[in-house]
Amino acid sequence: MKTRKYLLSAIVSGLLSTVVSASAQAPVSLDLQPDGKNPASPVMGDHLQFWSSITNTGTSPIEGLVAWISLVEIDPGNEQPVDLEDWSAQKAVTGASLKPGETLRTDWYMRLIKGGDYRVVVSVTDRGGRQVYTSPTVQFHVRQKAVLQAGRVLSVAAAIPLLIMGLMVFYKTKQRRRRE
Amino acid sequence: MNTIWIIARKESSQMLCSQKGMIWLLTFSGLLSAFSLLLVSNTELSLLDNAQVVYMMAGTVMAVGALLAAILGSDAYAGEKERGTLVPLLCAPIAPDALLVGKILGLLIAWGVMFVASVPYLWGVGASGQNLGAALFYLALFGTPVVLGFGYLAMALSARTGSVLASLLSTVTLLMLAASPLVIGPGLRGTAIGRTMDAINPFAGALNTFDSVIIDSEPFSAQMARLLLVIVWLGLCLIAARRNATRPDFQ
Repeated sequence: MKTRKYLLSAIVSGLLSTVVSASAQAPVSLDLQPDGKNPASPVMGDHLQFWSSITNTGTSPIEGLVAWISLVEIDPGNEQPVDLEDWSAQKAVTGASLKPGETLRTDWYMRLIKGGDYRVVVSVTDRGGRQVYTSPTVQFHVRQKAVLQAGRVLSVAAAIPLLIMGLMVFYKTKQRRRRE
Repeated sequence: MNTIWIIARKESSQMLCSQKGMIWLLTFSGLLSAFSLLLVSNTELSLLDNAQVVYMMAGTVMAVGALLAAILGSDAYAGEKERGTLVPLLCAPIAPDALLVGKILGLLIAWGVMFVASVPYLWGVGASGQNLGAALFYLALFGTPVVLGFGYLAMALSARTGSVLASLLSTVTLLMLAASPLVIGPGLRGTAIGRTMDAINPFAGALNTFDSVIIDSEPFSAQMARLLLVIVWLGLCLIAARRNATRPDFQ
């Protein structure tokens, strides 16, 4: 009975080590670094640049590579993926091919739209494979900056048309009085 | 000079002291009000920083100014012809150049009123941000030649074709093409064709200057090439208007 238990645990650990070594031998290696010129304490409206390196560590070429950047907000109670619509116009590198040992270096620009804590990550997949590989994340904090002040905007938006309408009434009354 | 001033006063008062002029101004302020309300009510737009919003609003003001120039310019000669007042005007002792200058001065005054009406809106969205003064200065410096250029172009077409409709359609179509950078994203503008369009399009040149000075706080020296572009645009449109205004189609 004891021998069977040992045998079973040996098989399970053997299988696990196979899985671990398979994942350790991923055919793609990814790295993501912030650019050295990025502001140390970025504020809303600043631009950040990140550099990703995608290396084919396998033995066969990777065809139809797709790499994309993702942003996640990690503010407590507000954890969510961020739609990059306003943050970045450059959302993916598509169709590239990488020979074994070759590296694709890409820069990613991002305009900081909203204050908070964020993590950015680059993911990669290819045409043939079913795996998605991700880079290490880069975390940054965006300082809040004064944005539109609703009270002031609303008062201007209401006052100017009213002022012009008042002028129209004034001209009309003036013309009527002249005729009389 | 007196003749020019009389024509300019007549043109501007037709636009500004009349019911139709006030309705135009009300429509313009309604547009800017709606745009401002959209900015504060939309969750994503309200998160834009002040500089970005001022840049967007400056572009909108210039586009509406150019539209006004297209309408007034189209009416300048062909409108007179359609109302039957062109022949008496040509028979009067007014030099063709004086008539052209008088009409463009009228347009300049109307654009000036629009500019003044837009100042509170720009202040409303940009007072707590950066470069509001620069935004106003560059809107005047770059917006005026772009707007007057469209006015001259519309006048040239108006004198050439003798038809308000033909001139208006042609100028508005060209304006829509020129103002397309307002709606297409930076990704499309980054292509080779997009960059070429940006290099020759005065409207895009002015927009890129607004972006450069309002958002990126770049100095005046960085704007020289674009300033040259809008001046060349104004010059070419002036030449076209002068050529056609000397022999307007009045038959």
